[in-house]
Amino acid sequence: MEKFTKAFPSKPLPSKTASPWALAGVVGSGNLEVLLERGGRPATAMECHVETSIPGYKAAWLAALADFAHHYPAGGTKVTINDQGAPPVLVTLRLRQAYDHLIKGDK
Amino acid sequence: MTGAILFHELTARQRIAAIADKGSFDELLPPPERITSPYLAQLGIPVSFDDGIVIGHARIGGKKVYLAAQVGPFVGGAVGEIHGAKLTGLFKAAARDKIPCVLIVESGGVRLHEGSSGEIAIAETMRAIFECRALKVPTIAVIATDIGAYGGIGILSTCCDFRVMTEHGRLGISGPIVIEKWMGKKAYDSANRALVWKTSGGKTKYLLGDADALVHDTADAVRDGISRFLGKSSAVSLTAVKARQKELEKRLKKFGAATDPDAVWNGMGVRNIEAASLASGPEFVALAKRGK
Repeated sequence: MEKFTKAFPSKPLPSKTASPWALAGVVGSGNLEVLLERGGRPATAMECHVETSIPGYKAAWLAALADFAHHYPAGGTKVTINDQGAPPVLVTLRLRQAYDHLIKGDK
Repeated sequence: MTGAILFHELTARQRIAAIADKGSFDELLPPPERITSPYLAQLGIPVSFDDGIVIGHARIGGKKVYLAAQVGPFVGGAVGEIHGAKLTGLFKAAARDKIPCVLIVESGGVRLHEGSSGEIAIAETMRAIFECRALKVPTIAVIATDIGAYGGIGILSTCCDFRVMTEHGRLGISGPIVIEKWMGKKAYDSANRALVWKTSGGKTKYLLGDADALVHDTADAVRDGISRFLGKSSAVSLTAVKARQKELEKRLKKFGAATDPDAVWNGMGVRNIEAASLASGPEFVALAKRGK
């Protein structure tokens, strides 16, 4: 298991979201679950907590998360990830799904 | 229903949303509470925020229900300590509040990484189910995915008043691979999907009376199936248990030596095996003319 925490600069989240939290994905082989919640501090950063069963890919994780924080206004959110070996492209997809559910609802 | 996503393709939360009245589901111990398995963490295995089960209360057709859905893709929907405690608590709450309890099953049984706590949790849940039944509080298991209901969860499902199944659902105790390992590939080939489904699938379980309804693989059909039983309960009495035992003895006598599942279908009143194989849900039921 590898565990790390990091905050990435991001534009603030819209002031209104459909729900206070959203979940995307599932902890299965080659998959992950992303829990996205309002209420992270500060409002200009996306706070990330990652736990993965596959050690040694921290650089890829940081790149995927930084990229998402750059492209989406996700400041003031807390991202918590339970991972079981998802490829980077799936990490991005799950982040987008969770973000979409947070903004528009429908978990 | 063409174009609609099938019930077995939905995620656990989507299944709940699809069968509950719109917006009526209120989740208990939702993911932000992070009640996760301490054992998996110790073993270096990733945990899940809900420990593989979604529980809460909702309304179905305006009626209040306690509702749970297992998350099959997370360690096969297997029951660990937390997962089991959520399940036990939900059925206990159902007994306390006299509100029907519906479990959307998707589990291979106890989670081996935390076997003892899982076994105990399943036993406690069964006790809570029988508490519900003694109080005439309906308990319903929905078995509609190919992970199905096996091991302790297979037994637990049959403790409920009613079972609603689809042809995708499977119900048993030992899974096909386990049977093959003990009896040999010649006796039971777990790779033979037709054989596996014809012995443990929803259609066969309906014929044998282990499932009380066989419905189409859509959320609407599953909801209608559940609604049929929300106002009913089946008491556990000595007479009922003895009658059931007699039935099972008769079944064993009739089919104990059968080597082909078609013989069971035939014996239970299916005349046209081929047409019945292709039929689904109520069409199968109509063809089957449920035998005695």
